[in-house]
Amino acid sequence: MQTTVSLTSPLSRPPHTLVTVAWIGVRELKDAIGTRWFTLYTLAFAALGLGVSFVSASGSGGSGLSGFGRTSAGLINLVLLVVPLMALSAGAASIASDRERGMLAYLLAQPVTPVELLLGKFVGLAVALLACILLGLGLCAMVVGFKGGALNASSIAWLAGLSFLLALGMLGTGMLISVVTRRASVATGTAVFIWLVLVFGTDLALMAGTLTFRLRIEELFALSLINPLQVFKMWSLHAIDSTLDVLGPAALYAVEEHGESLHAIFGLCLSAWILAPLTLACVLFSRKGVS
Amino acid sequence: MSRQTENLKQTTTRLACAVGVGAVLLGLVGPWASAHTQPNEHEAPAPRVSRGDAESVRQSTGEIGRRIARASPGDTLIISAGIYREHLRIDKPLIIIADGRVVIDGGGSGDIVEITSPDVTLRGFVIRNTGIDLDKENAAIRVTSPRAIIEHNTLEDILFGIDLREAPDSRVAFNHIGGKRLDTARRGDGLRLWRSDRSVVEGNTIHDGRDAILWYSKGIVVRDNTGYDCRYGLHLMFSDDVTITGNEFSRNSVGIYLMYSTGVEIVGNRLLRNRGPSGYGIGLKETDQFSVRDNLIVGNRSGVYIDGSPFTDKRPGEFTRNTIAYNDIGFTFLPSARGNELTENNFIDNIDQVAVAGRGSLEANRFWKGERGNFWSDYTGYDQNGDGIGDFIHESQTLFENMMDKEPKLRLFLFSPAQQAIEFVGRAVPAVRPEAKFIDEVPLMAPAPLLNNVSEASVSAGVAALGLAMSGAGAAIVIGGRGVCPFISLLTLARERRAARRPVGALP
Repeated sequence: MQTTVSLTSPLSRPPHTLVTVAWIGVRELKDAIGTRWFTLYTLAFAALGLGVSFVSASGSGGSGLSGFGRTSAGLINLVLLVVPLMALSAGAASIASDRERGMLAYLLAQPVTPVELLLGKFVGLAVALLACILLGLGLCAMVVGFKGGALNASSIAWLAGLSFLLALGMLGTGMLISVVTRRASVATGTAVFIWLVLVFGTDLALMAGTLTFRLRIEELFALSLINPLQVFKMWSLHAIDSTLDVLGPAALYAVEEHGESLHAIFGLCLSAWILAPLTLACVLFSRKGVS
Repeated sequence: MSRQTENLKQTTTRLACAVGVGAVLLGLVGPWASAHTQPNEHEAPAPRVSRGDAESVRQSTGEIGRRIARASPGDTLIISAGIYREHLRIDKPLIIIADGRVVIDGGGSGDIVEITSPDVTLRGFVIRNTGIDLDKENAAIRVTSPRAIIEHNTLEDILFGIDLREAPDSRVAFNHIGGKRLDTARRGDGLRLWRSDRSVVEGNTIHDGRDAILWYSKGIVVRDNTGYDCRYGLHLMFSDDVTITGNEFSRNSVGIYLMYSTGVEIVGNRLLRNRGPSGYGIGLKETDQFSVRDNLIVGNRSGVYIDGSPFTDKRPGEFTRNTIAYNDIGFTFLPSARGNELTENNFIDNIDQVAVAGRGSLEANRFWKGERGNFWSDYTGYDQNGDGIGDFIHESQTLFENMMDKEPKLRLFLFSPAQQAIEFVGRAVPAVRPEAKFIDEVPLMAPAPLLNNVSEASVSAGVAALGLAMSGAGAAIVIGGRGVCPFISLLTLARERRAARRPVGALP
């Protein structure tokens, strides 16, 4: 089986790459929205988000004070838990399950290059994730707006945008897992493992490192930038609160030292997390192909 | 031979590279350096020139100065609207009142109004544009005599605002004091009292200054003032028997900072969002015999910061009916703090309700007295007999909080799921459960009512609309993606192309 049919295709001219990517994207989006995981995750995300917004908005004990930081902290926490899991598992299932069902061979028999196929799937899944994030955070925003929480519109927009960036990074990572592994079950297992590592493992390790090696604050801050979840957390806190002093000396140091360029630093880290796995997945996939 | 030439070649290439890089650096740094040094050279002489001008203005004295010279003690001078470029010296007891908008412009040099006689009243002026000499402490109004009344003035673009030096029994009221927008190290104090006992500071608004500071002044009343974007909203140094009521200090580095003072009452103030590396709502350093009641302390880095207070054991430090909410840390105790009593306070959703810095303990402080404890938003007990007091004691023993207290760097991991994992382990495994930081035996079930007016959280139409739009967009993607509504033009485009090409096997 040849990987690129376009070379041997009887067609005079293959369709433009963007069209192919868009076409595959739309198909993937349709597929994704029909699946159980999408419905499940969307419902779970929206329900948990609503819970967080209700509880934090009413947690002021009737004193009339609005929950400064409480709602945003709850939502950030929720995004940190749910969005990476959702994106990683969606990405991990994408190529591996198609391969298992023999769908991959069929798709690549069309005038489609592997990179186009991969990018198309990425775009489609990204839009599906975007829908999920918008639905979930949108409902939260409605609750916060009606209950008079402390989050303003720009904070919500920042939170949604950054959640989407995080989702893109995790989706790319998931697809890399999917390309590398042979079976869908292995891919999903690996994705969950990676999720555990990112959500708990790296932070716990870094905490232990801080205590045992007496890391200096600049080292601690630099190391924490490795974890995209930490970057997302710090970036959204910085965007919502415009300070980072809630996160203690290391964050204070970062704000003093880097000031406004913190946005650029966080942006760079997250873009690296989006581009690097995706590029690697593209390279490996075009080399490896269907097998 | 050939190796030698090779080496030579390499060396020359390296040398050339080094020279090239050096030249580029020089080219880059040169203009930058000169751009950074030139303004300083220009800046230095500029004030000197203008000071010379100002000197001549002062010697010739302007219109207000001439009227002061002609007036006899006890006279009332009404100054009509206009801009007066002059520096005044009021050396006899006069009442000077602005009629309309009277601007006294200092032309960016020196002090502007100097009051050297007792019993002077200055009311309703706009005084602006002092010098920026920190050594000479250029002030808008400097008083060196007792019983001055400074009211309803607006001070703009000034280094020091109102500076009372040995001016007891004075009254500084309803002035608006706005500092020059310099960085904190180059600012002056918006208000300063130096050995000015029994003075009253009331209803002033102070912003963009360094501190409003009391030095060695006894029996001062500070009432209904507002301070924001300063370093310390209010700063007491060795000032005893001071009453601080109804003030609002927000967005400063520290709201109220008491140092080495005895007998201070802090009642009914609002301390909001004082943040930064210090970031205390109220800081107490070696202060004695104080009472902090009915204050609203919200959104600060640390609501209250206690360092070595109360200083003696004459009277316990009293904290009653304060609302401490949404601060990063509610109360920070340094290990040296002992003898404080906290009753009927509302601790609401502070990320860390009470912290001990370092490895100290809170044993020497009390969190309840008789039947009166505090309201803790994280209290998990219940009240079966309905007496308003929780049936179980409240003890604070969360593992992560303890870790943060000992190693503040760990705050970086706040809000991350790993933090919750640690909390969970702390609750589930008795072996790692920390000792209780403090115990409240009679925790309140409901927060004590606020005496301070708090603006109710209002419905935000903008946020709700954004939420509606976002969920609408999400729903549109879902519905559109399902193909119910063929609005995605890409889809049709792709279909058309497919129809045109008629590939061998159509995609499902």
